[in-house]
Amino acid sequence: MDLMYLLELGVNGALSGLMYSLVAMGIVLIYKSSSVPNLAQGALTMVGAYVVLAFADGAGLPMWAAIPLAMITMMGLGLTIERVALRRLAGRPIVMILMMTLGLDIFLRAVTLVIGGGTARPLKIGVSDAPLFLGPLLLNRAYVVGAVVALLLFAVFVFFFRTRRGVVLRAIADDYMASWAVGISVERGVAFSWALSSLVATAAGVLWGSIQGVDQSLSLLLLKGITVAVLGGMDSLGGAILAGIGLGVFEAVASGVLDPMLGGGSRDLVVALVLILTIMIRPHGLFGRHDIERL
Amino acid sequence: MLFRQAGIRHTDYASDRALFPIPADRAMIVALLAFGLLAPVLVSSLALSSYLTPWLVWTSATLGLNLIIGWAGQFHFGYAAVMAIGAYTTVHGVRAGIPWEIAVVLGGLMSTVIGVVFAFAALRVKGLYLALSTLALQFVMDWVISHVPAISGGVGATLQAPAMRLLGQPIKSEVGLYYVALAWALLVTLFMLNLRRTALGRALVAVREKDYAAAVIGVQAFRYKLVAFATSSFIGGVSGAVLIFTFYHAVTPEQFAVNVSIELLAMVIVGGLASIIGSWFGAAFILLMPGQINALIAWIAKLLGADIGIETLAHLPHAVYGALIVGFLLVEPMGLGKLYANVRNYLLVWPFGYARK
Amino acid sequence: MSAAAPSTVLSLNNIEVIYDRVALAIKGASLDVPPGGMVALLGANGAGKSTLLKAVSGLLKAERGEITRGEVHFLGENIDALPPQARVQRGIVQVLEGRRVFEHLTPDENLVAASAVRGTGGADLKRDLDRVYGYFPRLHQRRTAQSGYLSGGEQQMLAIGRALMTRPKLLMLDEPSLGLAPFLVAEIFDIVRRINQEQGLSVLLVEQNAIAALEVVSHGYLIEGGRIVMHDSAEAMKKNPDIQEFYLGGREGRDFNEIKHYRRRKRWLS
Repeated sequence: MDLMYLLELGVNGALSGLMYSLVAMGIVLIYKSSSVPNLAQGALTMVGAYVVLAFADGAGLPMWAAIPLAMITMMGLGLTIERVALRRLAGRPIVMILMMTLGLDIFLRAVTLVIGGGTARPLKIGVSDAPLFLGPLLLNRAYVVGAVVALLLFAVFVFFFRTRRGVVLRAIADDYMASWAVGISVERGVAFSWALSSLVATAAGVLWGSIQGVDQSLSLLLLKGITVAVLGGMDSLGGAILAGIGLGVFEAVASGVLDPMLGGGSRDLVVALVLILTIMIRPHGLFGRHDIERL
Repeated sequence: MLFRQAGIRHTDYASDRALFPIPADRAMIVALLAFGLLAPVLVSSLALSSYLTPWLVWTSATLGLNLIIGWAGQFHFGYAAVMAIGAYTTVHGVRAGIPWEIAVVLGGLMSTVIGVVFAFAALRVKGLYLALSTLALQFVMDWVISHVPAISGGVGATLQAPAMRLLGQPIKSEVGLYYVALAWALLVTLFMLNLRRTALGRALVAVREKDYAAAVIGVQAFRYKLVAFATSSFIGGVSGAVLIFTFYHAVTPEQFAVNVSIELLAMVIVGGLASIIGSWFGAAFILLMPGQINALIAWIAKLLGADIGIETLAHLPHAVYGALIVGFLLVEPMGLGKLYANVRNYLLVWPFGYARK
Repeated sequence: MSAAAPSTVLSLNNIEVIYDRVALAIKGASLDVPPGGMVALLGANGAGKSTLLKAVSGLLKAERGEITRGEVHFLGENIDALPPQARVQRGIVQVLEGRRVFEHLTPDENLVAASAVRGTGGADLKRDLDRVYGYFPRLHQRRTAQSGYLSGGEQQMLAIGRALMTRPKLLMLDEPSLGLAPFLVAEIFDIVRRINQEQGLSVLLVEQNAIAALEVVSHGYLIEGGRIVMHDSAEAMKKNPDIQEFYLGGREGRDFNEIKHYRRRKRWLS
């Protein structure tokens, strides 16, 4: 195996891994604020991309207008979902909440495909196709842009969670009842986290859509996003970034090595195996919180 | 009045613990059984093979999944993979010449073994993580089945299932296949009904409610969770095998992909957790609803003269699944079984509504 | 109408509370807390003490309970329709039973989270924090640890301090002595009395531990089976033979050989 080739795979894998982190950060945001694991994040990512296309192709708006408008629309969607579907189930057993987000995932995906059509459509955000060279390594320019966006958003969110608003969101995730008791509006906090998460989903949808086209495969990012979120720790943003890089590199290198041997398609297998191993060995991931039980 | 309970006095434990102590219930069960047995005569051949037979098999699978999720309170997002193991094992067994009955049991056992091995590791975690690990298992199984030609015949390949032979007699007619499916569904239902009255059933409920409290009173939570997984996997494996032999007649990897797992989950949730009759309703609902909604929308479209593309119609069933799951969780989280129970409770004391508990 | 200063901070009038629309938990309870007063609500397990507090703080809805009769008046205003956040803004705060601190946050973050309702910032926030740490110096030492790992006593101090950050006018404590060693109970009750005296903060103290509670309050209520059955000054309650028998450990010189049944039934007249 050519070392240079592996290195190239690795670096590109790290970059694409950071883009997985984008999806993971959306999941982590909601979990960090309300202890709800949002399995609909994949669908939201896909819907975000379709909404951008609707503004850009459908209404003929330029990208710099379509994307912000789409983000605002998606934030509205996130708030609606939280208000209509999730709020009623607050405090119920987690099996119901998981099923609810799963049902939402299926529903959103299908409705978007019904309205938007299933054929893949291109999303141009103005990143040139010209190759980017880092020394002897050929990098995918679009991945670099995506990675930069992911890191920027990460920095923003880390700063946010140090502010009082962020502390309040973490308090809500710890204990709804105690939050109510000190005057915190749990409803507003959870809604806010859904809005933020939808924004992140749109960003992820745009970036991935520009790379692989906008179609239903975007929602399959859920498996990668969830694996990164679990690996990093369901409530750790830093974990999402590091785990994203780690999984990206591992997935790229492993499938680069295994694909010729197994005849292709090993990417998803590798990701699923990482998920299983993480759950078996260290369920709360690299940086996730342990649930403290004082007996 | 309809469910007369007056005059029902039990004089021994056996009658007290009977499955259906109320005569009205017994009458209903007898009527249903009669309908089930006479269905080939009463119902058209198309309805039999396209609606009733798959409904029976999917109900068995739903009951098996309900055992894990509803009774034992665990998660299983990869039940289709369990069914796939049973299906493929059985098909290979029959192709290798093993008698069908034994091959089916082998299929169930294979599912059980793999299910238990996996559960051993997976049950160390709970809740979300258990769900995710079963989901990951589904993906891994999907991949293994499609990419190992020895199992599936290659990616996208179809493995033809030989004709079923029960006790040496080949069963090819739809009526015969229907009776096989009916027998399996009744067997599973009977098992689940009896589960409630056994120590195993009570232990599962205890584990479901609070596993550490159950452990405190001597119910080994881990052991019972494993038992639940094993039993459920067996039912799933056999159901998968029966599904192939009575309905599909050939097995491909797509039949047991992730979306099938989700479909089964929808059947359990819509039907109602831990509700046996709910599982029957849920399976019917999820099987029939999307088709009916499709037809309804196509009919409306024709009425309005609008043109609905094939694309739209292809994705509509999924939209309906999703909407059903979301809708039921919002409106009646305990599913159709609870709705039925509400009606039954009302009728139990009708017309003396004030006597209701 | 002239806006006369209300004679009570909190006034419950004939409250009836029902859970799940079927379980009657409180039957016609009336209770008053005077401004700057410290009042105890005593009773055994399951008598309805926590329910009464939640009726005031608005947390009943989270447990599927509702007030079906009677009114809750705070500073002369009927607050029945207000959600919990609005009540905290008016100045009512409840310290929940079993502490319920934000386990994964540090004590500092716990206190900051509670300051959100008032929006206190900058110097005001620092002053509030200093004041709370002034009352609970032990907490100051542990202020960067994860709250879930604090001891029971420290968590109780944190819970009370957190409530203080909302700048309340009425502090409601739900069984603060639960699971604490006696000397800690005394210490905490002492601090609460100090807060009551120094700041004029009205306190409603719900307790099973009648002995400790009656030492610090001015008067008390006794609730049994959802009904208020006694209301008297703390001194009188301490001397009351029925209270002594049922809640303070019994009469002197009682021979257990003579007892025919575990607990005498009492028809309370009030």
